[in-house]
Amino acid sequence: MALFDPKGARAETRQVAGKSVAVLLAPRLVRRGFLHDVFYGLKSLLTGMRVTLPYGLTTSRIVTRQYPENRGTLKMYERYRARLTFIRDGQGRHTCTGCRNCEKACPNGSIIIETAKGAVTGKNEVQRFIWRFDACTFCNLCVYTCPFDALEMKGDFEHAVFDRRLLVYNLNSYAGPHASLWDKVEDEEQRKTLATKISPYDGKVPLAGTSMAGCPARAHGEGGAS
Amino acid sequence: MSVFSPAAVIAAPQVFEVKTLASRAATALPGSLLESALYVLLAVVWIVALLALTGLALIYLERKIAGHFQCRLGPMRVGPHGIFQTVADTIKLLVKEDFVPDGADKVLHVVAPFLALTATILLLVILPLSPILQAADMNIGVVYVTAISGFGVMGILLGGWSSNNKWSMIGAMRAGAQIISYEISATLALLVVVLFAGTLRLSGIVQSQADGWWIWRAHGVGVVAFVIYVIASTAEINRTPFDIPEGESELAAGFHTEYSGIRFAFFFLAEFINMFLVAGFAATFFWGGWMPFHVGGLDGFNSVMDLVPAGAWFAAKTSALVFLVMWFRWTFPRLRVDQMMRLEWKILLPVGFVNLFAAALVVLYGLYFFPGT
Amino acid sequence: MTVQAYTLDDLVKRLDPQATEGASQQYFLNLGPQHPAAHGVLRVMLFLDGETVVRAIPVLGYIHRGIEKMGESLSTRQFIHLTDRLDYLSALMNNWAVARTVEKAAGIEVSPRAEWIRTIMAELQRLQSHLLWLGVLGMDLGAFTPFLWGFRDREELTYIFEETIGARLTMNYVLPGGVMSDIHPEFAARVKKYVAYIRPKIAEYEALLSGNVILEERLRNIGRLSAEDAVSIGATGPVLRASGVALDLRKASPYGAYDKLEFQVPVGTVGDSWDRYWVRFEEMRQSIAMIEQLLGGIPEGPHMSVKPAVKVKLPEGVHYGQLETARGILGVFIAAAGGSDVPYRIHLRSPTFNNLWSVTRLAPGWRIADLVAILTTLDLVIPDIER
Repeated sequence: MALFDPKGARAETRQVAGKSVAVLLAPRLVRRGFLHDVFYGLKSLLTGMRVTLPYGLTTSRIVTRQYPENRGTLKMYERYRARLTFIRDGQGRHTCTGCRNCEKACPNGSIIIETAKGAVTGKNEVQRFIWRFDACTFCNLCVYTCPFDALEMKGDFEHAVFDRRLLVYNLNSYAGPHASLWDKVEDEEQRKTLATKISPYDGKVPLAGTSMAGCPARAHGEGGAS
Repeated sequence: MSVFSPAAVIAAPQVFEVKTLASRAATALPGSLLESALYVLLAVVWIVALLALTGLALIYLERKIAGHFQCRLGPMRVGPHGIFQTVADTIKLLVKEDFVPDGADKVLHVVAPFLALTATILLLVILPLSPILQAADMNIGVVYVTAISGFGVMGILLGGWSSNNKWSMIGAMRAGAQIISYEISATLALLVVVLFAGTLRLSGIVQSQADGWWIWRAHGVGVVAFVIYVIASTAEINRTPFDIPEGESELAAGFHTEYSGIRFAFFFLAEFINMFLVAGFAATFFWGGWMPFHVGGLDGFNSVMDLVPAGAWFAAKTSALVFLVMWFRWTFPRLRVDQMMRLEWKILLPVGFVNLFAAALVVLYGLYFFPGT
Repeated sequence: MTVQAYTLDDLVKRLDPQATEGASQQYFLNLGPQHPAAHGVLRVMLFLDGETVVRAIPVLGYIHRGIEKMGESLSTRQFIHLTDRLDYLSALMNNWAVARTVEKAAGIEVSPRAEWIRTIMAELQRLQSHLLWLGVLGMDLGAFTPFLWGFRDREELTYIFEETIGARLTMNYVLPGGVMSDIHPEFAARVKKYVAYIRPKIAEYEALLSGNVILEERLRNIGRLSAEDAVSIGATGPVLRASGVALDLRKASPYGAYDKLEFQVPVGTVGDSWDRYWVRFEEMRQSIAMIEQLLGGIPEGPHMSVKPAVKVKLPEGVHYGQLETARGILGVFIAAAGGSDVPYRIHLRSPTFNNLWSVTRLAPGWRIADLVAILTTLDLVIPDIER
């Protein structure tokens, strides 16, 4: 009989809040005097040492993944929530209508959408879809709420930058209508005027009204936006 | 002129002649002062090299072994498999700010780490690594070992007291109680071997094991003494399950909470070298030190064993014991301070006294293996 | 309203009026807010006599983020993602507690499949939380190895969460009406594999820790919390059950799929640290058994019954819902003005807050090392204390 008996738990039924509940009573540790305790104490220590020894002597149980080395093979799960991006079709067009559902769903104001009436389509068109990577908590509510499946959370990693302004950028690569509006415009010439190309850092950064001027990392081609 | 005969070489047991660096210096002194001084210099270089290299190796080993016990790789970045990690850390500690807290007893705070390291160095001097690799040997070796290992607690006590930090203070007080208590049991265990060997000289104790190591030659009392010594000395060097003075999760870092930079490194180094020393002394007293595995009377077998150099025997035994101590650390939880004292005064000490008495009877009636030799 | 502010000296005097008279050898010491055993920014003011604790008073305020206040300007669906940040080791159960309360208030039906997903996720997370606790307990008692083993086994579970949910810690998965996304096609197979993996590991922990004489010495009879004290403090979860009160909401008022499951409630006998340790250890086994039962039959159906665009409006009045997280009962109190999905006031009854105060009764008379053991067996998650 050891100090601790793993099978010493006693099962019984108790009445709790008018219901009978099956409980398992904790085993008490048995004390039987000096020699017994010293003997089983030493035995328990040896048991522990037996458990750890194979770990100390072999390398097969090591679970470490060496990060920068395994970068090539490292693959995030498809649902992994990281960078918010537009889902784009083959021609690089997104499906965002600027309905602002995501902006409203966002709990911490990480999404700011600027829209304007399109000259040709006469409908709301996204001018800038600003995402604040630095404020985002990756709750996924924007993606969940989007009625047009325009958004996704991409599973890339290594997002650290040296200037936090680089974490605030436009998701859209052009200011203009979404994919299905685009198709409704028949005229080839008009189609060419539909969209204006914009870069991720076009426009004001909504961080205390600052601009991207003088952002040091930007000059080195670094950036939060892909 | 004798004819070389392999059979004769194997049949004749090897005689180990102990020549310490100190004795060489003493022998050379009447003839040449320069030669004597050279030996003294050699001894100093040897001790410093031993201190630095063992420290580096042990810290690296501890990290690797800890890593493997915990399903990790351990250091992997600096050099192949991280072998230069400790060197890098040493450089880091050297350039770190040497910080003395406000209100601390400045002199004692500065001196304490040196005291801890001094005790360690003084013990390294007497550790017999092989018949020729021993800086000094003295007729009262065991007394010296006991005295100096008790001296190491001064550094810890003063370091904790002078830090002007209550956590450090608690750690230091725990250390004082712990080290002094366990000193008794460790000494009792060593006395068992002294009874058998009949000498206090460390080289004499090693040579007394030419017919067999005391751990098996002295039957049960040897084993009991060895177990007591391992437990007591683990407590003396503040390692888990007796890392109570540091008790990371209780006292932040115990007595060295307020130490940084090179002074922290001294405490750290002293702790690791102490582990090496304790393993070395356990090997010397119970496992024959540098003495190869001999069985009295089996001269052929003994000669084969002698083919392995004495230094390698010592290294193998010490490494095994160092691994044992590390294995303890990565397996066991920590005892509470009063439980630690109870273990010493209520279990180890009575058992140690009974064992010493039994050992005296065994020696008196010659009940151990090969008593005649 | 009056707010009383104390200086440190005031508090020391309140702890012991004689302290300043220099008559005793008692002294004052702060454990935390930066301390290895506090696991966060908990501060416990200690009044010590040598190493013996005379008085211990937890001091809060280091990680207050105003989550309840934020809840007054967020819709309940948005608020749920903040509950991930209460007790981050029970994130899904916190989500679920709010979702349940909202469902009950708004009368939303939840499909059996969604309930099934919630239940298995909650049990997986309970297992994950207890694994981490076990590791941390080892570390607090000086054994560093179980800490990393605990993390190793927990890591495999976070991969399972990551595959289905997309996040590892702050998951925001359970929403009013169901769950955010259906389980990943490989979920069941992975969980099955994990159950086969974890069973021998639990046996290993038992050999390494439960049977160890040092651990036993450190836990047995240390910090006894009587059933009366536990109830009067409002302790819940394993802390309460270790004191002998078999109150487990999964049994007492079953929610989710718990009424279809067979399991036992581990209960302690005297309420010492050992009982708290054993109750959590056994709960891991019970969780594994529940997960196995749940894998037996996955109901078909939708995983969500409320469209994302629909605002979940709360009827006027006060609503309360609670469930059993890994640490105890999490109660969600919502006062709604009606006609809006933003509550007027939201209050959370977090289990750790109440469990923490048992320290004041448990610590006196024990040593610093025992206090660490007591704190770790209370299984505190500091952000849950202050919200």
